[in-house]
Parts: sequence; structure tokens; C-alpha cells
Amino acid sequence: MNVLCLFAGPGLILGEIPIFAMLLSMEDYDYLFKIVLIGNAGVGKTCLVRRFTQGLFPPGQGATIGVDFMIKTVEIKGQKIKLQIWDTAGQERFRSITQSYYRSANALILTYDITCEDSFRCLPEWLREIEQYANNKVVTVLVGNKIDLAERREVSRQRAEEFSEAQSMHYLETSAKESDNVEKLFLDLACELIREAKQNALVNNEASPMPGEGKTISYLNCCSFS
Amino acid sequence: MTRFVFMWEKMSDTNSSMAMKRSASTGSSAVSTETIEALTELDELERVYQQLCEEETQVDSELEALISQRGNIETKMLALQRMGPNLQLIEGDASQLSGMITFTCSLAENVSSKVRQLDLAKNRLYQAIQRADDILDLKFCTDGVQTALRNEDYEQAAAHVHRYLSLDQSVIELSRQGGESSAVDASLALLQEAEQRLKALVKERLDQAIADGDLAQVERFFKIFPLLGLHDQGLARFAQYLCTQLASKAEENLLLALGGELGERRAALIFADTLTLLLEGIARIVETHQPIVETYYGPGHLYTLIKHLQVECDRQAEKVVEKFILQRDYHNKFQIVQSSMMRSVSTEKMEPRELDPVLLEVIVMNARAELYLRFLRRRITADFEVGDATSPKATVQEHQQSLEKLLKHCLLSRNMQELIGYYIPMEEYYMRESFNKAVAMDTYEKGQLTSSMVDDCFYIVKKCISRALSSSSIDCLCAMINHSTSVLESDFREVLYNKLRQGFPATTLQDIQRGVSSAVSLMQSSLQQGKFNTLGIESAEDAKASFLVTLNNVEVCSENIITLKKNLESDCAKLFSQGFGSGEQAQAKIDSCLSDLVCTSSKFKDLLQEGLTELNNTAIKPQVKPWISNFLSISHNIEEEEFNEYEANDPWVQQFIVNLEQLMSEFKAGLSPVIYDTLTSLMTSLISLEMEKAVFKCTFSRLGGLQFDKELRSLVAYLTTVTTWTIRDKFARLTQMATILNLERVTEILDYWGPNSGPLTWRLTPAEVRQVLALRIDFRKSSALIWLCHCCHGQLEVRLEQVVTDGQSGGIGVGGVHTDAVGVWAGIHGFRTENWRQLEDSVNRPTNLGLDTLTTCRRCRPAL
Repeated sequence: MNVLCLFAGPGLILGEIPIFAMLLSMEDYDYLFKIVLIGNAGVGKTCLVRRFTQGLFPPGQGATIGVDFMIKTVEIKGQKIKLQIWDTAGQERFRSITQSYYRSANALILTYDITCEDSFRCLPEWLREIEQYANNKVVTVLVGNKIDLAERREVSRQRAEEFSEAQSMHYLETSAKESDNVEKLFLDLACELIREAKQNALVNNEASPMPGEGKTISYLNCCSFS
Repeated sequence: MTRFVFMWEKMSDTNSSMAMKRSASTGSSAVSTETIEALTELDELERVYQQLCEEETQVDSELEALISQRGNIETKMLALQRMGPNLQLIEGDASQLSGMITFTCSLAENVSSKVRQLDLAKNRLYQAIQRADDILDLKFCTDGVQTALRNEDYEQAAAHVHRYLSLDQSVIELSRQGGESSAVDASLALLQEAEQRLKALVKERLDQAIADGDLAQVERFFKIFPLLGLHDQGLARFAQYLCTQLASKAEENLLLALGGELGERRAALIFADTLTLLLEGIARIVETHQPIVETYYGPGHLYTLIKHLQVECDRQAEKVVEKFILQRDYHNKFQIVQSSMMRSVSTEKMEPRELDPVLLEVIVMNARAELYLRFLRRRITADFEVGDATSPKATVQEHQQSLEKLLKHCLLSRNMQELIGYYIPMEEYYMRESFNKAVAMDTYEKGQLTSSMVDDCFYIVKKCISRALSSSSIDCLCAMINHSTSVLESDFREVLYNKLRQGFPATTLQDIQRGVSSAVSLMQSSLQQGKFNTLGIESAEDAKASFLVTLNNVEVCSENIITLKKNLESDCAKLFSQGFGSGEQAQAKIDSCLSDLVCTSSKFKDLLQEGLTELNNTAIKPQVKPWISNFLSISHNIEEEEFNEYEANDPWVQQFIVNLEQLMSEFKAGLSPVIYDTLTSLMTSLISLEMEKAVFKCTFSRLGGLQFDKELRSLVAYLTTVTTWTIRDKFARLTQMATILNLERVTEILDYWGPNSGPLTWRLTPAEVRQVLALRIDFRKSSALIWLCHCCHGQLEVRLEQVVTDGQSGGIGVGGVHTDAVGVWAGIHGFRTENWRQLEDSVNRPTNLGLDTLTTCRRCRPAL
């Protein structure tokens, strides 16, 4: 009968559950993504970030020094997504600081100014940097900012679209001033990142799809790059 | 009739005159004369007469009542007549009073209007006095200025001009319109002229003093400027003076530095020192002259002075930086570093140690600049705070912005940002190259758990990050943390990963075949990596040690990363407490970068787990498996005699334990305690799994079960001594199997199962319980079978008492707890002859019964 005492009670297993649940509840988000904005100086990276995170358009913004860091938590289909947005300085002398952030980025927003031919012409150079420093799974979005200054446009939409298509990037035109497409830019990106994260999780787990995950999830229309 | 009387009484009470009218009208209208004349019948006449009589008496009584009131009314009238003269008296008094009030009122108004006039007069008088005073002042100032100017007493003159300037301009204008305009005009003209003259003179004298470098004179005239309302000009000129002082001093310092006649010790940091001298000089100037500016110019003017000074600071700092770049060959070094980083094989590689001094110098320069800018920020902010105490928010913000602009975008900052911009790739190169060196020079001494590479690499990481940290630039620090993370996570992890991939060679003595296959796989993996590692095959012992050391290395890395993060956190906290970094933002940035760094630690942990699994699979599993299969060669279908013999000469478990001890001793010596623990945990899992497999291949008698129980207990007891983990959990299934095999009779299982299980949690499924039961030879022959419900784990005892072979008569005789389950099942499936046979066969081979549908009891299938 004393064999019984060899059996481990259920306490060991049950005891671990609350700790695990507590750890889960401490993290107040389902996903955390790092987004890094890059592009020439003065194309409006800081304004895009400010518009999205604070709803502001601060005119007369000085050039960014080094990198700035903002956090915004959004909710997409009931999931809390924490977006860590790194706004980098466009000026050449900060390049080595900003480059160090590429590797850990989940997404890069490559920004240019539609009223500035120069900022568009520099894009291949930026792509080379991405190639060199970012990890190969990074999602890159090309953004043409300042569409509120349509009368001063120097880069046609078609040209930009052709360019982004050739580089297989998503393309979006925005106006941080008029708040055009800013929300869409970040939310679409978040959706895309969730999709990738789920795909990765599936590949890594090699497990049969969980109920509900196995079906192709139809994304809301507002959340798709088209 | 009564009604009439009643009405009358009521009327008379309230209004007698109305009543009278009413009675009169009734008197005349009740029966008209014409009606009477028209009457012909006696009866009617009598009736009318009667009526009239009644009316008469009524009128009489009314009259009497009226008459009776007369006396009363007369007395009242008398009283009224007597009151008449009194009323006249009152009327007279009232009119008299009214007259008096009107008079008083007009009097009061008169008085107050006079007071108002007086007040006005007084005010005008004051104004007049003021004006007279002003005019006198003006006069006094005019005279004073003249004499003061004549005596070259500029302070006095300026004080007079200041007095004049602070006079109310409108008053002066008014004065000019007055009678004595010509006199005032003259004075004013004189004063204005004096003011202009004084301004010109003061400027000239100040310029002169600046040119002469006469500090006392400079300060003297500098103090006069605010009196003349020339704050900005004064500050500009004063700053100009300070700048020339500064410039000459700085140039002197730079020349001295380039002369190189200083001690060798400081030569490596000479440009940093020169910059420090420059910045300290400016700080001292601010320190010494702030009181004068504050006293004579008031608060809020320090910014203007510093703005002027900063221009010179920028100019001088740029010179120093230029010379630094030139002398230290900074750009060239950067070019070499960059090109060798771009192409992995480079002709011109730079020794990382060569970079050390120049990197340090840049860091010191930046740290000094940050310190200086922080000093300026503190001073200007404090000065603005005093000046802006009552200002509107917009001004405060504007001031704040201009301060930010001055500090962040000044040339000094830009120069430093550029230097740091070059510094980061060079430091990264330094780190990567040193890493490669450390890996290449990796040595391992016997008796040590880790090799030199880990300590070296972490020393390098610490050194690089500390250097970045001492620059006081948050962005620089973050960038270096990022680079460290990436070097650790990709490069260094790759090195360790490749070492682990070479595998752990199996011991050739024990298993030659295994050893050969391992060597082949080792060769293959080396070939895949593109380099042929002959050393690995030549010396299996070395390869073994290298594998174990690498495992230790991986573990230490993961620990070191956590320690590194903790240390950096406290270092940063120190930096923040000194006021560097602009608050929360910087803190958040560093936190984020550090959390990325610490994530690497878990990646090393994963790698460790992978390595241990590999070790377990290649080194432990091939050894343990045959030892366990030995268990099968020992019969457990034994009788008393054999049992006793086993008791005397242990057939298996002791040898197994000795073998394990031997096997693990090698790992215990070569692995850190934590890893060894994890490995033993993996091993125990392996043993329990393999033992289970073995047990299922065995058959047991009652005593065989007891033997197995004994063996298992020895094994568990041994394993408990070698691990710090609790291993009972891992052996729970085996222990339960032993319990089942150790049963006296089949039905005893019911004491442990279902509602009787008590605190025991079954790890075996009902099917497995059945399977284990079937391992007992003697249970197979038993006519009793135990069925356990899948759902409720309640037992279904099915005793086949009678097996009918013809399929026609009889049936299954069932007994036990949930007997109906069987009956129902038989009914549904239409038991046919062949099925009966199958059931009959199953008596001897219950595991083949395969009637799992049966094993759901009726309680759980109420639908049936």
C-alpha cells in the first residue's frame, strides 16, 4: 500500500498554472512590433509619427536629433497591438546611429517627399542600406508624404508606384498635415505584421492549425494593402 | 314664507340698502295694479289680498328695522364730525415735513457736488505738482547731464538719462503745450542731445575699452548700457569683448597642443583636453559675469549673452575638431574601417587596438561637450525662470524653444554629432574584430568549465558599451547596445552553434559502430561548413571536451547577458541622476534597447537546450537503451525460488545503476552544475520512457510484479540522489504500472480506480491500465475482466460466466457494477455467432478485445 506515496500529487502541475496566467496578464498587449521610419531629412517623418501617436501637426519642427521613440497601442479585431515607433534623423551625420536600429525592426517605413525630387532619387540608396542592415524578414512600406502640397508635386504617383512595384514594396501617399492616410498607413502595417507573425508561429510550431486559426482569416477591407 | 324671512335676514346683515331696494321692488312688482283690476273671481281676489297683506306686514317690519338703526348711525356721524378739525391739523404737518425734506435733499446735493469739485481740484493739483516735479527733474537732469558729461561722470549722466527716459512721455508732451513751452523745449532738446551724445560716447568708450582689453573700463561702460535702454547692444558688445578674450586664449591653447610639448601621458587626449579648456573657459566666463548681467540687465538676459558667446565657442571648437580630425587621421581611419566592414576580406585591415586611443578621445570630447551644454541649459533655464515668472505661457514656450534650438543645433553639437557618427561604426568594427580575435585565440584549460572566449568577448562588449556610455550621449549608447545585441545574437551565437553542430562523439569503446557513424556525420558537418576539421576525428576526447565546454560557454553567455543588462541599467540610472539625457524619452529608449539585449539571453538558453538534447541523443541514449533492454532478458514470470535467487543476486538494477553512475560522472565533471542538472533531467525522462517500453514487452507473475516494484524503487531512489529536481513526477506512470503489476487479485484495481482513487491521479489511460493488467500471466487466465469507463473512469466489471458457442441459446452472464452496459451493447449490435467467438477468444487475450465502445458506461451514455 505504501506504493501510493510514490505518486506525485496533482499540486505540482496545478501550482504552475496561476503563475503562468499571471505572466500572461502582465503583458498588456498581444503583439509588439517595432517600426522604424527612415528617409531623407525634412520629408516629414517626425510629423507622420506625431500625427499618428499624438494627433498633432507641429509646424516649424526642428530637425530630429538621433532617434525619437514613441509608443502607441492600437486595437485590431480585439487584439491589442503595441507599436514601438522609432523616428530617426534623416541627416547624414546620424546615419550610423539610425542604422543600428534596422536589424531589430519588424517594419521599415521608407519616406520621401512628393514635392522633392531629390528625396525620391535617394530611395535606391536607402534600399541599399536596408539590404545591408535590416533582417530579411522586414516589411518595408514606401510612403510619399506631403500630398497636401499637390500643386508642388515633383514625383508623379505613377512613377512612385512603378518604383515600389519593382522593389515589391507597399506604397502609400500620405499627408501628415491633413492627416490623410496616416492612420491607414500604421494600421495596415500592423495588420500585415500580425499576418506575418501568425504565419511564422504556424511554421515554427509545425502543429496542426488551432481551431479558428486554420481558416484563412479575412482581413477587414480597411486593413489591406490594395 | 320662511324662505323669504331667511333671505331678508341675510340681506339685511350684509347690505341693508340692497335689501331695501329689493323689498321695494317686490312690493311694487309682486302683484301689479293691472292684475288686481283684472281680477274677477273672489277666490283670486282673496288670495291676492292675502298676499298683499303679507307684503304689507313684511314692509312694516322692514321699516321698523331700518328705523331702529337710526340712532346708531347718528352717533357715528357725530363722531365723524368731531374728527374733522384733527385731520386738517395733520394735513398741515405733512406738507411742512415734505418741504423740509426737499430742502435737505437739495442741500446734500449741493455739498456733494462741491466735494466732487474739490476732488477734481485736488487731482489736478497733484498732476500739476507731478508736472512741476517732472519739469524740475527734467531741469535737474538737463543740468545734471551737462555737468556729469563735463566731469566725464558717465554713470551719473546715464542715471539722469535713465530718469528722463523713465518719465512719462505724455507728460512731457503736455508740458510742451503749456505756457512755459519754450523753457521745457530747450531742456528737452538739451536732454535728447545729451542722450544721443552719451550713447555715442558710451559706445565709443566701450569699443575703445574692448580694443584696449581693459576689463575694468569694459565693465564700467557695460553697466551703463541698460540705463540707456540699450540692453541688446550692451550685451553684444560685451560678448564681443569676451569672445576676443576667448579666441586668443583658445588659439594659444591650440597652438600649445599642436606644439606637442606636453607630457606624453596626456598627449593621447590632447585635443579632448584643448576642447575641455575651451569649454571650461566659457563656463568660467558665464560663471563670473552672470552676476553683473543679472544685476544691471535684470533676469532673462543671460540667454542673449550666451548666444553671442556660443558663436565664438562654435568657431573655436570647430578649429579643435578640425585639427583633431587632421592629426588623428580620423576620417581616413573611418574609411579603412568602413571598407573592411563592407568587404569581409580586405587588403588593409586595421588592428582594433590601434583605434583605442582615438575612440577614447572622441568619447571624452563628446562627454565634455555634453557636460558644457548641460551647464548652459541649467543656467539659462534658471535665468529664464526668474525672468518669466509673470510672463504669459507663449513667451515661456518661445524662450524654451529658442534655448533648445541654441543648444541642439549649435555648431558644437553638430560637430560632436558628426564625430559620434564616425565613432559608432569604428567602435562596432573594434568590437567585431576583437570578437573574432577572441574566438580565434580561444583556449581551454583542463579543469575549467568555460573557455577564454566567453570572458574575453564579454570583456569586449562591456568595454565598448562602457566607452559609449561615458560619452554621455544617449543615442550613442543605444546604438552601441544595438550593435552589441546583434554581434552577440548573430556572430557569437553562430560561433557557439557551429561548435555544437560538430556534435558529441560517441564512445568508441562501448559502441564502435555508433562511433564510426558519428565520425562520418562529424565529417559531413565539417564539410558542410566548408572547412575540414581533422582535429575532431583525431582526438575524440578533445571533441568531447570541446562540446561540453561549448555547452558551458553557452550557459555562461546567457547568464552574462543578464548581468550585463543589470549593470548597464544601474550605470544609466547614475547617468540620469546626473541630469544627462532629456528625461523619460531617453529612459524609454535605453529600456527598449536593453530589453532587446536581454532577449538574446533566452536565445542562448534555447541553444543550450538544443545542445543538451543533442548530447542526450548521441551520448546517453545509445548507452542507456541496451542497458534497459537487458531488463527484458531477465524473466519476470518467476516463482518463489527464482524470486529468492534474485533477492540474493540482483540480476539487473544494480548493474544498471553502476553503469549510469559511470556514464554521468564524465558529464558531472565537465559541465556546470546547472547544465548537469538539466542533462540528468533529460536522462531520467529518457529512462522512464525506455523503461515503460520495456515493461510492455515483458510478462509478469505475481512475484515478478513484486520484483519489478523493488527494482523500480531502487532506481528511483538512486536517481533522486543525483538530481536536485523532483523526479517522482517523471516516474509516476512507471510507479503506477508497478502498482498494477503488484496486485494480488484483478479486482483489487477497484481499490485504486475511479471513486476509490483518493489523492492518486492516474497518469495511465484506462486502455493502458487494461494493457498493464494483461501483462500479468495469471490475470489473463482469470475469468474476470475489468473494464473502465472512458468517460467517468468508473469501473465496468464484466464477468463472462458462460460463453455460449452455438449462438442460439443462453447469453452473456454478466455481473458487476455496470452490467447493463454490456447488455445494451449486445442488443444494439445484434450479437452474431462470430462475435461471440471473438468474445470468447478475448477471455484469453483481453488486450485484443478491441471493444472500446463497450467501455463507456451507461451513466455516461444515457441516450442508450
